[in-house]
Amino acid sequence: MGLLEDTYTLFLRDILIFKKNLGVNVVRSLIFPLIFIILLGAFGSTPKNVPIAIVNYDNGPAALQFINMLQSGNSLQVVSVTTQQEAMSMLSKGSVAAVVVIPQGFSNAQLPKPNVYVYLDNSQPQSATIAAEVVNQAAAQLGAQASSGAMPGSTTLSHPVPVITNYAYGASSNYESFVVGGLVIMVAAFGSVFSSGFTVISDRELGNLKAFLTTPINKFSILLSKIGYGTVQSLFSAYIGLVIGLLLGATIAAGVVGLLELIWIVFLVGLGFSSLSIALAVRTKQLQTYALVAQTIVMPTAFLGGAFVPTTLLPKVLQSVAVVNPLTYAVNAVRDIMIKGSLPLSDLVLDSAVLLVFAGVMVAVAFVLFRNTSEQLS
Amino acid sequence: MLSDYAIEIEDIVKKFGNFTAVNGVSLGIKGGEIFGLLGPNGAGKSTTINMLLGLLAPTAGRIHINGVDMLREPEKAKGQIGIVTQETVVEPDLTAEDNLMIFGRLYQIPENELQKGIEFALELSDLKGFRKSYAGTFSGGMKRRLETAKALMHAPKILLLDEPTTGLDVQNRSQIWELLRKINKEQGVTILMTTQYLEEADQLCNRIGIIDHGKLIALGTPAELRQKIGMSTVLEVEAERESLPKVEQIFRKLGMEPKISGNKVIAPAGAKPVERVEKVLQLLSAGRIDVHNVNMHEPTIDDVFLKLTGSAVRDQTGDYQGGRQGMMMGRGR
Repeated sequence: MGLLEDTYTLFLRDILIFKKNLGVNVVRSLIFPLIFIILLGAFGSTPKNVPIAIVNYDNGPAALQFINMLQSGNSLQVVSVTTQQEAMSMLSKGSVAAVVVIPQGFSNAQLPKPNVYVYLDNSQPQSATIAAEVVNQAAAQLGAQASSGAMPGSTTLSHPVPVITNYAYGASSNYESFVVGGLVIMVAAFGSVFSSGFTVISDRELGNLKAFLTTPINKFSILLSKIGYGTVQSLFSAYIGLVIGLLLGATIAAGVVGLLELIWIVFLVGLGFSSLSIALAVRTKQLQTYALVAQTIVMPTAFLGGAFVPTTLLPKVLQSVAVVNPLTYAVNAVRDIMIKGSLPLSDLVLDSAVLLVFAGVMVAVAFVLFRNTSEQLS
Repeated sequence: MLSDYAIEIEDIVKKFGNFTAVNGVSLGIKGGEIFGLLGPNGAGKSTTINMLLGLLAPTAGRIHINGVDMLREPEKAKGQIGIVTQETVVEPDLTAEDNLMIFGRLYQIPENELQKGIEFALELSDLKGFRKSYAGTFSGGMKRRLETAKALMHAPKILLLDEPTTGLDVQNRSQIWELLRKINKEQGVTILMTTQYLEEADQLCNRIGIIDHGKLIALGTPAELRQKIGMSTVLEVEAERESLPKVEQIFRKLGMEPKISGNKVIAPAGAKPVERVEKVLQLLSAGRIDVHNVNMHEPTIDDVFLKLTGSAVRDQTGDYQGGRQGMMMGRGR
């Protein structure tokens, strides 16, 4: 009778067909995450221009020399900040990968040498590792120069520079968690695109859509059931990706609550990408064309969303693309949940809001295109 | 007036851009009738059917199904019809039972009657032993029977079939015919079908409509249509190729106008067919000409169709349709 009942019936049909081919579907969902985790885990890239913030409370010649040393390679991109508070807020926003605090008295030759504090954003493990390496190298070099008297007559240090490293987030975070965070979102997007839009086209090719449209149902139940099916597929793919990730060493810092938050984020991604895929599918006749277009959209979107490389490491032009990319917010949210753990609720609300708007717009687009082309669906 | 007809089509028109696919067709199909709609590909037959199915909205005109307006209450109108489309759309990855269950639900059969509907359909399609088997393992005929039974689950009073036997072998075809005759007779279901097989229309249908260039160009019982084009009984003699010219000579001697087609000599038998046949037989035996077969028959719908539309049904397959689909795709982008 009702729209919802018809939607449920059509949804049930897709699920029954899915169940029939469950084995194949699970294997297919397994292969992708495994390959990605293993490949990305084995070949972590060495990033360049990692942004770090420096708080210089000393301003003496040794401090300036230290900063120059940090800047000398092209590994780091140094931003000078006046207060530590400001620097830390940049760190928590993810706009810098590390904060280096040069204490007062750094340039004095007197003892004891004050500690240099380094805070690392370990939710960006590649960048954080590079930053820590360069800072430690520079500190060692500076200490060595001083003790060998390379700079006679200067008031520089006569002792090695002690560096104290702090991690911004729980020690449990690791590279696996970073990769799995991005991976979960990517397989979620793929999961919906290769189920909802895909079945719209195959159902049309096989005459099923025509058969549905000749029954006394509200035609929008077809649209709704496909969106629902795609969203469930997103959750399924993400679940498999997450389980593999956890087995390979990733963790969820936010615990059980984090799991619920994850489901919510993946749900929104699934909703948006299912609708997007249906909007594509009603305008595409052939499965091959659709697969090509879908892949061309999802793959770069996931990449530019920071699924594998933090968006802060992307070239400037691509960084501005990342700002309007919904997957940036999804990946962000998932990393927050998996690595940072106790994230501020406002961050989750912002990410959710962006994803909600994206999903809402996509549902509306799919609805309009479906309505306008429903005569050609048969 | 409305209630006299199971399906009433009033002056429907369908345009795709500048192309008029259906140009003012009116047709009333009575309750309990088996009606055949014929026409070459691209004649507007499929477009007409799609409008009856509620898949396309007519540009102008009205359609009533059991008195329900298809345009105003499409869902109610669709509920009155059972449909077997050209493509076999049973889902290979669902069992026979699940295929029926899904469509039973889509046809709004209440939950407590659904099982009964499924049993009825399994019985009707003779697939009771295969209820748990996936439809992908079925033969073409089994799929078609399942499909047809699926269309009858909600006990519709009207059944619409779009080329139901296309691609089936002789045995499966006659099984479908039997099924259709049975439901027409026992349950009084009105049947509207399109077909490419003229002998099918001839044998199965009470009335036939022929559509061409978007218009209905002929309507009547098979006998009426034959009469209408004024063709008399046809005489055929089948023989070895070398004997055919001799047979042709005999035909001419008797004042007939023969044509040779394959290994047959064919001619209209004229006003007194039986006398003609006797004479032909006499002359054949006098001339000691060996023949395989002598046959006299009423003109078929094939002959009618050929004369009315100037094309054999299965000629020009797809050409015209290709053009229209191209246009529809153009509209879609």
